[in-house]
Amino acid sequence: MTELSDELLVAYVDGQLVREQTRAVDKVLEHDDVIARRVEALKDAHGRFESAFEAILAGELIEILAAPMLPPKVKRKRGNGLAKIGIAVVGIGIALAVLVGGYGRSLLLSACSVGMTGSVAAMQSPPQSALGAH
Amino acid sequence: MLPRLRRFADVLLGEKKEGKALLRRALLLMLAEHHRYQRGTPLDRWAFTEIYRLWLAELRDHADPLRQAKSSEEDFDRLFPKDRGADFDAFTATFLGQLPPPQRSTLLLVYGEGFDYEDAARVLDSDADTVQSRLIRASASLADRLSSGTPARTNASAAIETLYPERPQQYDHDRAQ
Repeated sequence: MTELSDELLVAYVDGQLVREQTRAVDKVLEHDDVIARRVEALKDAHGRFESAFEAILAGELIEILAAPMLPPKVKRKRGNGLAKIGIAVVGIGIALAVLVGGYGRSLLLSACSVGMTGSVAAMQSPPQSALGAH
Repeated sequence: MLPRLRRFADVLLGEKKEGKALLRRALLLMLAEHHRYQRGTPLDRWAFTEIYRLWLAELRDHADPLRQAKSSEEDFDRLFPKDRGADFDAFTATFLGQLPPPQRSTLLLVYGEGFDYEDAARVLDSDADTVQSRLIRASASLADRLSSGTPARTNASAAIETLYPERPQQYDHDRAQ
């Protein structure tokens, strides 16, 4: 019977050995029933640990999925602020374009001219009080 | 990742309620000290490390840490789903419930999470040799029990520790944790 430690066999079962060591253990297992049974028992233990931890994880998942879901937060409508800003910008742009494009200028000029002629006329015509006095 | 973190905390504490509380404290700590996270570190490994570190720090504050670290079999049994199928392995569940928390966590990281020995050692603030010796002791003990058909009713950790009397240093290291 070959003497192989549990340390080596556990590393073999866990796949932690290098290839040469794995081959060497494989060869021993071919002709040593005692070691082969021990390896089977260790593999069984390994598999049972894995299954137990998987079962615990499944329990966690079930618990998380079963937890009451909070209702989704209703998003407060903040209005389409971006559209409003866009409309405002376009409006200001149009207003400026109209102003610079002539309409506003002519209006301003006519207003100025009316104002000026009015004042000149007022300067040329004598005041009513003066006429009344004569 | 959350179910995995919950499983780790629950297995470490050996019960759900305390496990949840530990996880919550650890997550808050991680948020508060997120600057300690190093880029390139897998997030799950960092989270496992922080949970374990916090557990260890809190355990050290207790007057009797070893007593505090023990959990009841009933509490550990509740970690498994209520509607267990026929394939539920009560034998292994009882065995795991009787192990000391560091040993249980080692088994979880290697066999449950698929970490290699080095990664598991990093999480547990230990070294790869200690991880390996814990795995050997637990695997050999369960294999022995399965072979003999002895139900795991006795104190498994005590029985495991006698399996490798030639490793007193690692045994001491485990007990210290």
